[in-house]
Amino acid sequence: MTFKNWKWKAGLVAAVAAITLTGCGGAGGKSGDYPKKPIVVVAPSGAGGGWDKTARSLTKVLSEAKLVDQTMTVENKPGGGGAVFLADYVTQDKKNPYKLFVSSPPILINNLKKEGNSPYGYKDTTPLAQLTKDFGAIVVKADSKYADITALMNALKADPTKITVAGGSAPGSMDHVISILPAYKFGIDPKAVKYVSYDGGGEAIAALLGGNADVIGTDVSSAAEYLKAGKVKVLAVTSAERLSGDFKDIPTLKESGIDAEFTIWRGVFGPKEMTDDQKAYWEKTLKSLNDSDVWKKELQSNSWEPEFRSGDEFNKFLDDQEVLLKDVLTALGMAK
Amino acid sequence: MDVLNFLADGFATALQWNNILFAFIGVVIGTAVGVLPGIGPMSGVALLIPVTASMTSGQDPASAATSAIILLAGVYYGAMYGGSTTSILLNTPGESSSVVTTLDGYQMAKQGRAGAALSIAAIGSFAAGIFSLVALIALAQPLSDLAIKFGPAEYTSLMLLGLAAVSGLAGKSMTKALIMTVMGLLLATIGMDNVSGVARFTYGFPILYGGLEFLTIAVGLFALGEVFKTIINREYATGEIAKVGRVLPTKQDMKTSAAPIARGSILGFFVGVLPGAGATLASFFSYIMEKKISKNPGKFGKGAIEGVAGPESANNAASGGAMVPLLTLGIPGSGTTAILMGALIMYNVQPGPLLFEDHPDVAWGLIASMFIGNLMLLLLNMPLVKVFAKIIETPPKYLLPIIVAISVFGVYAVQYTTFDLLLLIGCGIAGYFLAKNDYPLAPLVLGLVLGPMIENNMRRALTGSNGDFSVFLTKPLSLTFLVVAALWLIVPILLKMRGKKVVINEEV
Repeated sequence: MTFKNWKWKAGLVAAVAAITLTGCGGAGGKSGDYPKKPIVVVAPSGAGGGWDKTARSLTKVLSEAKLVDQTMTVENKPGGGGAVFLADYVTQDKKNPYKLFVSSPPILINNLKKEGNSPYGYKDTTPLAQLTKDFGAIVVKADSKYADITALMNALKADPTKITVAGGSAPGSMDHVISILPAYKFGIDPKAVKYVSYDGGGEAIAALLGGNADVIGTDVSSAAEYLKAGKVKVLAVTSAERLSGDFKDIPTLKESGIDAEFTIWRGVFGPKEMTDDQKAYWEKTLKSLNDSDVWKKELQSNSWEPEFRSGDEFNKFLDDQEVLLKDVLTALGMAK
Repeated sequence: MDVLNFLADGFATALQWNNILFAFIGVVIGTAVGVLPGIGPMSGVALLIPVTASMTSGQDPASAATSAIILLAGVYYGAMYGGSTTSILLNTPGESSSVVTTLDGYQMAKQGRAGAALSIAAIGSFAAGIFSLVALIALAQPLSDLAIKFGPAEYTSLMLLGLAAVSGLAGKSMTKALIMTVMGLLLATIGMDNVSGVARFTYGFPILYGGLEFLTIAVGLFALGEVFKTIINREYATGEIAKVGRVLPTKQDMKTSAAPIARGSILGFFVGVLPGAGATLASFFSYIMEKKISKNPGKFGKGAIEGVAGPESANNAASGGAMVPLLTLGIPGSGTTAILMGALIMYNVQPGPLLFEDHPDVAWGLIASMFIGNLMLLLLNMPLVKVFAKIIETPPKYLLPIIVAISVFGVYAVQYTTFDLLLLIGCGIAGYFLAKNDYPLAPLVLGLVLGPMIENNMRRALTGSNGDFSVFLTKPLSLTFLVVAALWLIVPILLKMRGKKVVINEEV
């Protein structure tokens, strides 16, 4: 096995490097001496939401498939829809290549929106790769009186104060965008929609099941388990075409006559100051991850759709997404 | 009965020799994790996930998941047992849920009753652990249905009740207790607001975005404050060394503690079931309740064994209660259960509404192993009491530096920033002057815990009701909490006006 061999050499190089290069911060080392310490992958939310699941699946498969030899752990850093973590990360871990994090459109949204603006965005990090795409879902309780998205939208249009919409992140963030995008495109004043934010998708689902919210905007993968258990109804998904599996009977917004589409990409980011070797390491490792069968199985069990971009391609994609989201937020009167 | 069959199967799983071994390793590590401040149950469990992953790698996926979760749950329970040790002996809370144990536990230790305090904490934890498991088996489903009904309005009112009850933590002066509570609430507003994402009182310092760490403040106020007091008052020079009395509690101790343990177990379990409330709150509520219903509340803060027995039972019962939403709904009720949930997901076991159907072996094996783990903890901890209690006999000139070292190490292990070390020292100095002038420290800590919960939930409730405050009165549970809170404040005043002697309002 070439990989085993590589690992052994890496260990040797690391040991030599540790002896001879102590204090040099590892700069100028060969790619072989990274990573030589355990790696932390941060999910900037509470447990149970989309980021959390992505971070846990990522670390699990990377370790199981022996793509990364170092132990990888997941840390949860909730708050401010990811902004609390990012502020810490950008200032404290700028040069720490052993702390990566999982993010998605909020890293763009937080930086673009007016209220609760995060001074930092993806340009203050190193985007490593996009791994998955997911879609938004408009979810109600199984016994809800709203049978389809049109019924819900009509009720919301008639009296927005009667319906409480909830999500796992702060106003002006992704769950909020998902929740109000259909309403906005349906011709409802998005500012009139009552939106309540919880700490993470798990708490938002609890609020829905307990009757403390009438509808939640969340992502397809977080809703899957509850849909399977018959606890919730999914009224619509924000994909362009119907999804497969458990969601094959769920109409898209477009099918329901609402011209809206929203993709939740998820990807891995590193600190701003990474060496080229470190970037190359992750590009290669994440590419092999994307090609591995274990990862494909993992995606399937989470109802995630694969989509892989890395390096410059990922950066370019983020630039385009930023333009798109800025348009949406401006239309909603929430842009900076 | 189905449940009994499942439970029997669960015991069959848990009693396999390797699972017994895993449970044992878990509780031993957990006890160590609990004793060391800084490494709390959360980081302890998180650190061990990769270790268990490699330990169980030889087994098939389902039994690997069971073994791993048995070990990790053992760490969780063990940490809850061990957390009281440093609170009692050194006035240094090992985790946030044992902060309140310092109030009477440390006083008991100073009076030479460290052995009794430690063993009653272990006995109370055991009783509470067993109680919460029985309750988990019997009530999991109905309780999880109830717990999710608990909305923002109910949370707000419950937290307000907690604040109203702060009088239970007052020392000689209610006014000073209220000042300290408000201080705690104010300190809690520092940081990035979770509802809107706006940074408050951070003055552009990113280090403040995450708010002030609760444990740093508690350790600074309690442990360092006490160290400074000892040094400044030259208490160490007198050479007075507390003697360790008998290790086991007396018959009288057991009698006094029985009721607090029972009440603490019940209260702790129900608070634990609520997602987000947690063990810290359970221990505070239990302490306040014990003081309130005690015949001589004056004893509290001066080494009342009830003040150790109640909260220590409550925080252990809460950890059992937190399993209810985790296992039945896939909603973690605390940081530690969130990490346990992550561990389950790692093994492709999805906690949630389908757990008991899809993976009955994992779920019931875990429940059965908790019985075994709790029993092991009791057997393990009782002999250790003797060893730990010796610490108190160390002369102050050695003991004080040890306390400082443990405090600094513990805080740094949680936060990894020098800012928190400065905050720790600042809080230590503040703690000394506050305690010297009879400002009680516990209300400040309680305000710090309750502040964000009250605020976030109140804003959620008001958004839902379109800004209408009556939402707190129209929900029956919420109304009940508010009425109790109002009575709590009003009744003593009325009694006083009618000339009755009321303990809590005495201004000296």
